[in-house]
Parts: sequence; C-alpha cells; structure tokens
Amino acid sequence: MPQTLNQSYEQLVEKAQLLFWTLGYKGVKSKQLAEHLDVSASTIYNKYTKDMLFMDSIGYYTSNYSDPFLTQLRATNGGLDSLKNFFYTLIDALLDKTFPKSCLMVNTVVELRNTNEDVVEVYRKYFGTLTDSYKIVLDKAIALGQIQNPEKKDEYAEFLLGIIFSMSILYKIKSKEELRQYIDEQLSFIV
Amino acid sequence: MRYKEYNKNKVLEHCIALFWEKGFRGCSVNDIVEKTGVNRFSLYHEFQNKEGILYDSLRLYRERYSSKNFEILKEKVDLKETLKKFYLSFLDEEESFQGCYFIHIGTEMADEDQKIKLLIKDYLSTLENLFMSLLKSHQIAKEEADLYARHLVGLFCTSMSFCLIHSESQRQNHITNGIQVILNKKKFHATNT
Repeated sequence: MPQTLNQSYEQLVEKAQLLFWTLGYKGVKSKQLAEHLDVSASTIYNKYTKDMLFMDSIGYYTSNYSDPFLTQLRATNGGLDSLKNFFYTLIDALLDKTFPKSCLMVNTVVELRNTNEDVVEVYRKYFGTLTDSYKIVLDKAIALGQIQNPEKKDEYAEFLLGIIFSMSILYKIKSKEELRQYIDEQLSFIV
Repeated sequence: MRYKEYNKNKVLEHCIALFWEKGFRGCSVNDIVEKTGVNRFSLYHEFQNKEGILYDSLRLYRERYSSKNFEILKEKVDLKETLKKFYLSFLDEEESFQGCYFIHIGTEMADEDQKIKLLIKDYLSTLENLFMSLLKSHQIAKEEADLYARHLVGLFCTSMSFCLIHSESQRQNHITNGIQVILNKKKFHATNT
C-alpha cells in the first residue's frame, strides 16, 4: 500500500541534512535514511533519492547556516575586529554543537572531493561567496588603516579561506582558549 | 611470527584503502572480509572489533606513509622550499592516496571517538615538534618558532582538506601563499615596543 507523506519535502531535507552532517554522505545508507525520515524505503529509492536529499541538504546548510552568518559578516564595519568576532562565533558554534559536526561543506570536501560534478559546482559558489565576504571585510579593514600592506588583499583572503578548514580539525583537539588564541594569531599575520 | 605480522599489515593496507574510499562508517565488516579475504572470526581475534582495525590502520599509515614525508622536514635546504615540498608530498597524484589519512579519519570520527581524538592530537603534536626543530635549524628564535610551528600545523590541516579539491596550480598557490603569510610575520614584539 502506498504510504502517504505527512511531511513536506522541506521537512524531510531538514532532517536528512542533520544525518548527513553527523554521519557523512557515505556513512548514511538508504535504508537508514528512510528510517530516520520515517518514510518507506521505496520513497527513498523511487521518489526522494539519497543523492537528491543530499544535494538539497547542502543547499539547506548553505541557506540556513552559512549564508546568514556571512550576510552578517559583510554588514559589519569593524574590519579585523569583525573578523575576529566572526571566528569566535564559529568556535562557539562548533564547541556547543550548534554546528553538530564541524562544517558540512568541509566534511563534504574531505569525503567526496571532486567526484561529483554537482557538488563541485556547489563548492565553486560556496567558496566564491566566502572569498567575496572576506574581501569585503578586508576592504573595510584597509579603510580603517588596520592593514599595513593593502596590496596583499587577495593573498590575505586566500589565507583566511583556510581558516574554516584548519578549525574543522583543530576544534576537535584544542580548548576554547587555544582556539581563540589561534584565531588572534592568524589575524595577526595579516595586519 | 614474521608470517603473521606480514599478513596483519597486508590486511591493514587493504583496510586503509577501504576506509579511505568508503569512509569508516560506510564500510561494513563484510566489506572488510571481502577485500582482505580474512574471515570475520580471525579479524575479531586479531583486532577485537572494527574500531580496533581502524586504530591499527592509523598506526601503520603513520609508520609507512607519514614518516617518509616527515623526513622531508629534516632536510637542510631552503626553508620555504622544504615546507612546500613537505605539504605537497601528501598530495602527490602519483601516490596511491592524496591527502592525509589522519585528517581524513579525524574529520569523520574524531568527534565521537576519544581514542581517535588522542591519536590525531599526538600526530599533530609530533608534526608541530618537527616544524619547531626545522625552524630552529634555520636560526629562528624559539618564540617565533613556536608561533610559526603552531600555524604551520594549521596549514597542514588546511592543505589536507581544502587542497583536495584544488587543481595543481591552485594547490601550489594556496600552500605557497600560506607559508609566505605565516613566515613573513617578523619581530612580532617590535610593534609593541
């Protein structure tokens, strides 16, 4: 008997992305996904496939977790101080599990690399937005006279891009104080 | 015993390849049995459980793969070139694995598994010490060497994740840039005096 869905697709994606975030793409089996979402296995095989839910989970992550974070960052006016706050907030989110397991995008990079073209396209947009956001804040830092070598803006943006990756490992083994110190020092490299 | 050790490492080699490809969670004991040709009973006898295989595979990876790359940090040539060569040694496309197994497994497992967390911590602290010795051998003062080493470890974590999706030139650029930005910070106390 066909099962009627009493959940919207959006609700399914919201639940699925938490599972993918904590277990990874490969760590989630279709059967387990069906159980977690409380839908029939045939729904996962025929209607909302694992791949489809995964792609939409990344989309959900971007629009609900990173985008608001980055929109806020771009609107700030403190230059390097704003960057510091941004990374401190990230540390808190990682440690208090607002971000249940590191950053979904970083996890996906490590797990899937460039094996899926659709995901590669997601990386391109995601890291493009991230770079642009850092550059906007660096421009403000330059205007505030916080940076001695403004001509190095692009190099610094590239350097900052690495932080979410290093933090994604370091938060697992360092204390909050050590992580904050790490951020302070990273920012001291670009003044 | 020699015979057994040989087999054990061979089994672990297969498991490294398997965990790397499918992830630890994405891989069942059946997959391991199939790939290694060793039955479930013998696997449990040797490693206790699936986690036991993972811990031992990290040890083997460190002995066989990382240690060879870690040796680069003892070379007495240009500092920046040595560092670049070191990072890139993990990303060589000719090698069977690109990236670092510790970062790969750490990303997947270090949140829940305390033992993995400790193994990663120990691995990165060994690396930090190697960076420190290298920097000191280039006459960099202790305080600066400490700072640089901490952040060269950070760059290692970044290179072993972000650089996996880079083209050859993007990767070279990210690593060279990272090394430059970190090492170009000189006399960090001077600004305060």
